[in-house]
Amino acid sequence: MTQQTLASAAGDDPAQGLRAVRSLRELADRLEALQVERARALGWSWQQIADHLGVTKQAVNKKHGRR
Amino acid sequence: MFERFSKDARAVVVEAQTVARQVGTSSIDTRHLLVAVAEAPGPALDALRAAGLDPAAVAVDARSDLTSGGLDAEALASLGIDLDSVRRQADATFGTGALERGGRKHRKGHIPFTPDAKKALELALREAIRLADTGIDGGHLLLGILRADCPAGRVLEAALHDAGTDVPALRTAVEEQRTAA
Repeated sequence: MTQQTLASAAGDDPAQGLRAVRSLRELADRLEALQVERARALGWSWQQIADHLGVTKQAVNKKHGRR
Repeated sequence: MFERFSKDARAVVVEAQTVARQVGTSSIDTRHLLVAVAEAPGPALDALRAAGLDPAAVAVDARSDLTSGGLDAEALASLGIDLDSVRRQADATFGTGALERGGRKHRKGHIPFTPDAKKALELALREAIRLADTGIDGGHLLLGILRADCPAGRVLEAALHDAGTDVPALRTAVEEQRTAA
């Protein structure tokens, strides 16, 4: 199966590539949410979190603030 | 539109919300509807069984399709990412099941339907009209899901394929259930 996976990734099939990108984005989103949640629990300010994510405070607050 | 729903069809819509809370998704798509249809007694469940499917297994498939929610271990492996190892690390730092939860808090209040779920409900209504039925029951909902090009349709197609049958056969089973009732 691994052989097959590697072959399809290298075979530049857009479907496979896009599927991989989608999964990667989903994984990044989930990890970001978990990390932000934990940082807040540890007392980090939105500004500190924003600095480390390389985005504005407004962006991080909009995405992860009170929903 | 909901005023034309039968008791079991209403129960399906309500149950779909419960499923969304259980799996921690922020919206309700056709897979939630499919889980609800396959888990609640009613014409749809009878039709699934009549078509040679195990409704409980269909519900499990749809649920696992929901919880995997885009985290495709195989696709990530093609990029050199070992999802199991990421999951172990996330469990250690954020608590067991953290990655599945994905930082999403328990949702309160209304959970919105995705466009494909709305489409399936609309198609259920159209199916009822086509069959000259006065109300919409679980069977019509199942027909709506089968008509919509949606994630739940793909789950069902795979299950039907594994059972050696197909979508038209299930559709026939649903229509026969309603004449039998």
